[in-house]
Amino acid sequence: MSGRGRRREARVLDADVCVIGAGAGGAVAAAELAEGGMRVVVLEQGPRHDADRFSARPLEMLARLYRDGGQTTTLGSPPILLPLGRGLGGTTLVNSGTCFRTPAHVLARWRDEFGLEALADEDALDPCFARVERALSIGEVTPELAGGNAAIARRGAEALGWSHGFLKRNARGCIGSGVCAFGCPTSAKQHVGITYVPRAEAAGAQVIAGADVRRVLVERGQARGVEARLLDGGRLEVRAPAVVVAAGTVHTPLLLARSGLGRDSGQLGQNLALHPATGAFALMDELVDMAKGVPQSFYVDEFAAEGIMFEGVAGPPSYVAMSLPLSGRRHAAAMADYRRLAMFGLMVSDRSRGSVRSLAGRPVIRYDLLAEDVARFRAGLARMEELFRAAGAREVYLPLPHGVAPARARPRDLKLMAFHPLGTARADARPQHGVVDGDLRLHGVRGVHVADGSVVPSSLGVNPQLTIMALATRLAFGLLGRAVPRTEEEAHVLSD
Amino acid sequence: MRKPADPVRRGLDVFVDAAPQPQRSGLRLLLALERRPRGRRLLGRAHAVDQLANGLVAMGRYEDPANAVPLGWDADAIAARGRALRREDGRL
Repeated sequence: MSGRGRRREARVLDADVCVIGAGAGGAVAAAELAEGGMRVVVLEQGPRHDADRFSARPLEMLARLYRDGGQTTTLGSPPILLPLGRGLGGTTLVNSGTCFRTPAHVLARWRDEFGLEALADEDALDPCFARVERALSIGEVTPELAGGNAAIARRGAEALGWSHGFLKRNARGCIGSGVCAFGCPTSAKQHVGITYVPRAEAAGAQVIAGADVRRVLVERGQARGVEARLLDGGRLEVRAPAVVVAAGTVHTPLLLARSGLGRDSGQLGQNLALHPATGAFALMDELVDMAKGVPQSFYVDEFAAEGIMFEGVAGPPSYVAMSLPLSGRRHAAAMADYRRLAMFGLMVSDRSRGSVRSLAGRPVIRYDLLAEDVARFRAGLARMEELFRAAGAREVYLPLPHGVAPARARPRDLKLMAFHPLGTARADARPQHGVVDGDLRLHGVRGVHVADGSVVPSSLGVNPQLTIMALATRLAFGLLGRAVPRTEEEAHVLSD
Repeated sequence: MRKPADPVRRGLDVFVDAAPQPQRSGLRLLLALERRPRGRRLLGRAHAVDQLANGLVAMGRYEDPANAVPLGWDADAIAARGRALRREDGRL
């Protein structure tokens, strides 16, 4: 037979578990499963990044490290920029590294509203969190490393008597390069691409980058493996009785839908929460040099109960030039004073919900901000101005059109970004209300599990990476049929 | 003969090329308008669009070491220091 027109033979691999995606959920699950003795194949759509090529230039790194160059945008009122990481490490490669455990009131909601008693059991989750915290060297940022930008917010919060503190992060040997979101040049940020992925490989997992999974294969209600396309155009089939889908909140529902899975409840692709966010600037009298230090190192949680959280954000001049809510001469004048600019972020624990669906193979993300979330932004922006004024700001630049006061801001006036998509394959004990059950197993199918932000059934109000990693740890040990070790010593005894 | 694109412009073009459609076409149009006096006047009538176009061009401008270093940001030095420390500590 001639080569022309002949369908290339698929390369076939056999595994106990195939993990789709090497981000916060997939990498953690893969490492734990491989170290637990399972044969694991990890398929990651994006590339393996080389830290030697991290240039500390935002524009260049956005194009290289982010899906769609960091320009994924929601449709709706207002449109929201939703940057997502791409490659080994997923979004952990480009996030700020902030780590919070799932708040107790959120776990209570998971129990009460979604029937997830076991999943939301704080005592049972504790060893999962502790295990991830040890693996990623999670610790609190020191005031010295936090830098001048955090000092401004701290001064404002202290003057106002608002609750605040330094954030916990997954970093080791950080020198405050200031570019967590653009590829850490020192590899101080302990993203899963340099922690859990190498652990998985050391334990024998095969990690294949550039593998675009097209379908999860299920026969008679039981997982059989996955089909993928490789960069060279070849096809790959992984035969496995268990599949862990961890393609991320935006892409997991699309993959499940095109595999004909997870649609019975009508919830697949629905319930998208984002934690919409924005940033404001202040011109100070003192030198701030905001990019010198950890960009996200400090928080103000005085209004967390209202769904409003302030967290540090900062960046090099080109990042600030893009984000400054000014134009023309005012923009140029503010940039000339870059070294005296401070910046801080505002994140809303949203009640609004959006959806993800596929159009010609690409995700279409629909999300409209509810009036109550608009009200949170109005209140949050007014308080942000108060915070900066209390810190001694000479001028405050809120992310609103010139002359629009926070109280009068309309959705279209808001300049929003979001970094925490959650909920599109949400967990719910009841098959008619959720896509996966409390063990993160697809309702009605044996052997297909989900381990990324898509299973998180509600907004968290805090950065979600630690929650996703803890849930993935719990899932992995569940598949291994073992309890999560409570201490390092116990882990060693078990592995011996 | 066409003038070769300067590095700043090239960086911006790479960034725009990475955007999904239809944003990519929209961004190209915005940049084309922002780079012309008449286009800039036109953009000035729509606040959000004007700010986006202005921000995009400014992002390119301040990525240039000639503009960033005087503001205290030397990307090459930061990347080099990071690489050296990584090697020293034997990190990935």
